[in-house]
Amino acid sequence: MRPAAPLWVLLPALVLLPVLALLPGISHGGGWELVGQFAAAALQPSPDPLVLRSVLGGLGVTAGIALLGWAGSLVLGLGLGIASSRVVWRTCTGSAAPAGWIRRLLALPRSLHELLWGLLLLQLVGLQPEVAVVAIAIPFGALVARVVSDLLDTLPTASLEALRSGGAPAPAALLTALGPPLLPQVISYSGYRLECALRSATLLGVFGLGGLGTELRLTLQSLAFRELWTGLWLLLLLMLLLEALLGWLRRRWAMPARLGLRQRSVGRQARELVAAGLALLPLLAVVAWQLEVEPAALLQWQGLPPLGPSDWGAVAALPWPGLIANTVLLTVLAAALAVGLAPLLLLVVAPWPIGGALVRGLWALGRLWPPPLTALLLLFVLQPGVLTGALALGFHNLGILGRLLLEATETTGAHQQQALLAAGGGPRLALLYGRFSGLARPYLAYGAYRADVILRESVVVGLVGATGLGSQLLEALSSFAGDQLLALVLAYALLTLLGEDLSDRARLWLLETPHGDGHPQEAGGAWR
Amino acid sequence: MPSLLSLESITVRGRTQPRLDGVSLQLEPGERVALLGPSGAGKSTLIAVANGLLAPDHGQVRWQGEPRARSRRARRRQQARIGTLWQDLRLIEELTVQQNLNAARLAAWGWPRALLNLLLPLDTPACAEVLQRLDLDPALLNQPVSALSGGQRQRVALARLLRQEPLLLLADEPLASLDPRLAADLLTLLLELAGPPRGLLLSLHRPDLLTGFDRVVGLRDGRLVFDQPCASLDPGQLEALYAGAEP
Repeated sequence: MRPAAPLWVLLPALVLLPVLALLPGISHGGGWELVGQFAAAALQPSPDPLVLRSVLGGLGVTAGIALLGWAGSLVLGLGLGIASSRVVWRTCTGSAAPAGWIRRLLALPRSLHELLWGLLLLQLVGLQPEVAVVAIAIPFGALVARVVSDLLDTLPTASLEALRSGGAPAPAALLTALGPPLLPQVISYSGYRLECALRSATLLGVFGLGGLGTELRLTLQSLAFRELWTGLWLLLLLMLLLEALLGWLRRRWAMPARLGLRQRSVGRQARELVAAGLALLPLLAVVAWQLEVEPAALLQWQGLPPLGPSDWGAVAALPWPGLIANTVLLTVLAAALAVGLAPLLLLVVAPWPIGGALVRGLWALGRLWPPPLTALLLLFVLQPGVLTGALALGFHNLGILGRLLLEATETTGAHQQQALLAAGGGPRLALLYGRFSGLARPYLAYGAYRADVILRESVVVGLVGATGLGSQLLEALSSFAGDQLLALVLAYALLTLLGEDLSDRARLWLLETPHGDGHPQEAGGAWR
Repeated sequence: MPSLLSLESITVRGRTQPRLDGVSLQLEPGERVALLGPSGAGKSTLIAVANGLLAPDHGQVRWQGEPRARSRRARRRQQARIGTLWQDLRLIEELTVQQNLNAARLAAWGWPRALLNLLLPLDTPACAEVLQRLDLDPALLNQPVSALSGGQRQRVALARLLRQEPLLLLADEPLASLDPRLAADLLTLLLELAGPPRGLLLSLHRPDLLTGFDRVVGLRDGRLVFDQPCASLDPGQLEALYAGAEP
């Protein structure tokens, strides 16, 4: 007995059974009225010009931080990606070993979430506009580096060898043979990173690092829901515009889709590409000037707050197994909720076009709404704990996974679905059999990657006492316990590296397609 | 006895000119009808209207004398009796042959059986029987469709059609991409399967394959050009049908 592909997609949704069974136990029901007010305020956001001006200002700062952090991560990522590529080292020096060392070094910056980087930098240099920018650039850069080097190392090398045997020097041969196939992948991927950067910049704001996030959190905590929705709707508008623009560019330049299984040819419209790249430079300069970003300020470290004497006994006495178990549980619950709910919701609304629009709207809100704020909102009716944190993280990631699944269903299995519909199969079963069959493997592989991201992200719901490593870490940060902080950061890094390894294995296993047209290397790299 | 399918002055709008323009056509039980016409004549559109994927802008589609059902459930019951053989077969690569055959029963099955089919081999005797009718080894039932040869896939698609137990078989240029021997085999099989009470409506790009059909219908620019017994078709009519067009 071996479940067939479409069932795999539905299996993670089984997590709903324990979750629904446990929910009544942790709900305290005190704040349903507040939740009602919050929902009602969605339809009447505050039109106050003062609110509007402050929201627009905050949104500008958030967008600016996202743009600068993103640009920084691309520069870092491309450079480090090339520097950690085996094929580059082998072609230039004959040995691929240094690539492995650099890769290992890059694992550390990648393993820490941008929020941790932000909070650590905040301790070192104080509240400066560049903290959030660098906090995004470092982990994103390390991630881009890994993707770039993975892409480079999985490209076919036949043309490279041909050029080298013809006497071409190494750099020229690399550029000519690997540049053109790499470029569309990198551009498509960096567009996706910009969306991520906008979400991260909002999140960093929630923790006081500037921009709209700060205002969202303050208005939520002071129950000023109408002001909150003014900010949310504008943020939603910005996010949807950005996603639409990037999607349009991706199609226009014939860039590979993220969950796409077929390799697209090299991007067209080279002139437009170059023009767009050049237009970015003055834009970045203006943004940096507006935000008063001074890279030099990062070097002026402020005096650290007085650290207590190290007490390693107390560090060892932390409830490590419980902390780690809770972090893992939080991750698994959130990942299963996100991965399982997206296809389930699509199936439920399949017969009604209006239902599809509603689900899209819900997912857009999920992507936009930073998980710690969801968690705060959930606290109105639920007790703090692992499940509350998992619901918040799950909702956010549902928004991301759902959109990806929807994009993929639009390009996969249309004919099979049509055939089943024509035979009277009904819209839901036709979707399940016709479209989900082909999507199961790439979708779950992406889900495995997402679980890895959620593990890193689990720190962001530490705010609501989700009782894992994340909440302990935030506590150590606010009580200046340097020794605990160090131990917890290391534990976090180790755990995420382990998680990354597991997720990589799961992805490889899922993408070992038994039949022809899959391109594991593309599906494995391009949609991180 | 009512006609299996009757199309009454069907019009389907297109961008510049109608894809179908007032086409009427009747299909009686046991009849085998070939649909001829140059590419772009509206053959595929006609098939899509017949199997319910496309709702006509004007005109009436009747199934066994009844107009197309209003309620979703009843319409699905009507569609379940109309089987389509697709040129690209539209098998589900990731599923086994048996699961693919059973996918043809989804209209009759509810969710529980549809889900169970993804977990366990269901209705094995019925599935083995349709395979045997098409000279396929029942041992193939457990194979994933992606592991089959081209000829086997063709027959599995036909087996799925049988498993649906349709009264009307539709086929949109099923022979177009096949080599001559496979094409002849498939056509013989289709004509055999379409015995009474079943009817067959098959679009063809080659007028030399009309042996075995009862009637032939000519379509050009969305309009019906002729509809007559095969025996009475003369070469001049064919020439006029394809005149000035790529055959």
